[in-house]
Amino acid sequence: MKAAIIYTSVTGNTSTLAELIHERMESRGMETDLIPIHEFRPGQLSQYDIIAVGTYTWDNGELPLEMEDLYEAFETEDVKHVTTGVFGTGDSFFAHYCGAVDLFRDMLFAQTSLAVTLKVELTPQQTDLDRCDKFCDRLTRELILV
Amino acid sequence: MSQMDQPLSKIKLLNPTYPNKSTGIINGESSGLLNWNDIAYPQMYDLYQTLLANFWKAQEINMQDDIKQWEYLTETEKDVFLRINTQLASLDSLQTPTMTEVMDYVTDSSFKAIFAVISQQEAVHNESYSYILSSLVPLREQNERFDQAKEDPIVRKRNQLILDRYEAFRQHPSPQRLFELAVNSINLEGIYFYAGFAFFYHLARQQKMVKTSSMISYIQRDEMQHAYFVSQFVRILLTENPELNTEENINYVYQTVDKAVQLEKEWADYILKDIDGIDLEEFHGYVEYLANKRFRQLGLDNYYPARENPMQWIQVFSDEMMNETKSDFFEQKSRTYTKVSSSNGFDEL
Ligand SMILES: Cc1cc2nc3c(=O)[nH]c(=O)nc-3n(C[C@H](O)[C@H](O)[C@H](O)COP(=O)(O)O)c2cc1C
Repeated sequence: MKAAIIYTSVTGNTSTLAELIHERMESRGMETDLIPIHEFRPGQLSQYDIIAVGTYTWDNGELPLEMEDLYEAFETEDVKHVTTGVFGTGDSFFAHYCGAVDLFRDMLFAQTSLAVTLKVELTPQQTDLDRCDKFCDRLTRELILV
Repeated sequence: MSQMDQPLSKIKLLNPTYPNKSTGIINGESSGLLNWNDIAYPQMYDLYQTLLANFWKAQEINMQDDIKQWEYLTETEKDVFLRINTQLASLDSLQTPTMTEVMDYVTDSSFKAIFAVISQQEAVHNESYSYILSSLVPLREQNERFDQAKEDPIVRKRNQLILDRYEAFRQHPSPQRLFELAVNSINLEGIYFYAGFAFFYHLARQQKMVKTSSMISYIQRDEMQHAYFVSQFVRILLTENPELNTEENINYVYQTVDKAVQLEKEWADYILKDIDGIDLEEFHGYVEYLANKRFRQLGLDNYYPARENPMQWIQVFSDEMMNETKSDFFEQKSRTYTKVSSSNGFDEL
């Protein structure tokens, strides 16, 4: 049983969130690789049972450029069996709050077994910790059910 | 109410994976030549491109609908409309020359370039307020309104907080004063615009003066990105110059932004008091929510109690309303995933 968190972050908010989720996955006994996007290599997705994708949003709700390869990897690799979640940070003042999370969500729903999505406004606050717990519960629960 | 007694945290360091080749955003050694492919903070290139992609100009927006509707606004609405318009215009007028001033002092050419783009955008904002005014009232009244903005004691008091620090930097530019200028620039772009924005979006949600609000929406989008950039600038400034990353300066951020918050509340109470449908208590909460976000952008903690956005309608219009197009990535492959939601059997947190 193996999990991965693959994420991108410019100003550190999404990487903070990724770390919070990482801690929580490990404390649930799930061995989890924490992979910043520049260390990601295509061709490895199917070796995981659970993958959480983390992304910020810029540019009117679009996908960050550096996430395009990952997005395409989900479209081309054998990932039907993989349980996925997508999380991100954004700013609700923009018209497309966490738009990149939504873009991943729709694709992951079609290509994988999507379990959960999570949006956080900027740096995670105290109140977001609970939501991180739920996120991990949902990711790991799915597997027990399957 | 505020967390005055809590220990203040230092601004968190930026991502340590950045290359160290920067000779510094200030007092650095730099040839002055800019090759965007070889810069100290590569994410600045993305930011630069995002800012450029915002490009818009006032004349693209046809004011005919608003001109017709103007007649139907109440006298109070017209008065508040004109006062807010000139007040915002005077804030932007301040920002254009200040950004160019800062450019002279910043040694990293990529940052200089971004300050130049910001300065250009402020000039466009400034023009758009003139464009709105010229569509609605004769020159004589425009000038009267600008005089009114200059003389209004509350406007003056607000602006003084910012002006003092801008002026201090002009007189004796130093790293400390640059830091203080940047914090006040966040106040200007990130706090002071919002009572005005609230008024225009409030009209828009009643389908009034929607062309004006479209411009306001473009302006807000630009300003939000400026506030992001300046926050990054502050964080990098403090990371590169640890002698600035002191308890005192962090305290300065909390105190100065808090001052701006109080002044924005005071301004809202005064300018929006006769506008039905804007709850001023709620707006006070909104300003604190806004300021908390500014603190978090700076890598600091919330200063006010954490809360949800109490006025979600103060928001940039969507691309559909703004006629934006999707990126190449989604156009080329004509990806057509259906929009899904929690009703499809996953959880949305
Ligand atoms: C240029 C720019 C554009 C942005 N556009 C959006 C947006 O369209 N939607 C959104 O939710 N957030 C937007 N944001 C906010 C960021 O997504 C938010 O700050 C996020 O927490 C950054 O994550 P990071 O710290 O991991 O880089 C934008 C920020 C910047 C600087």
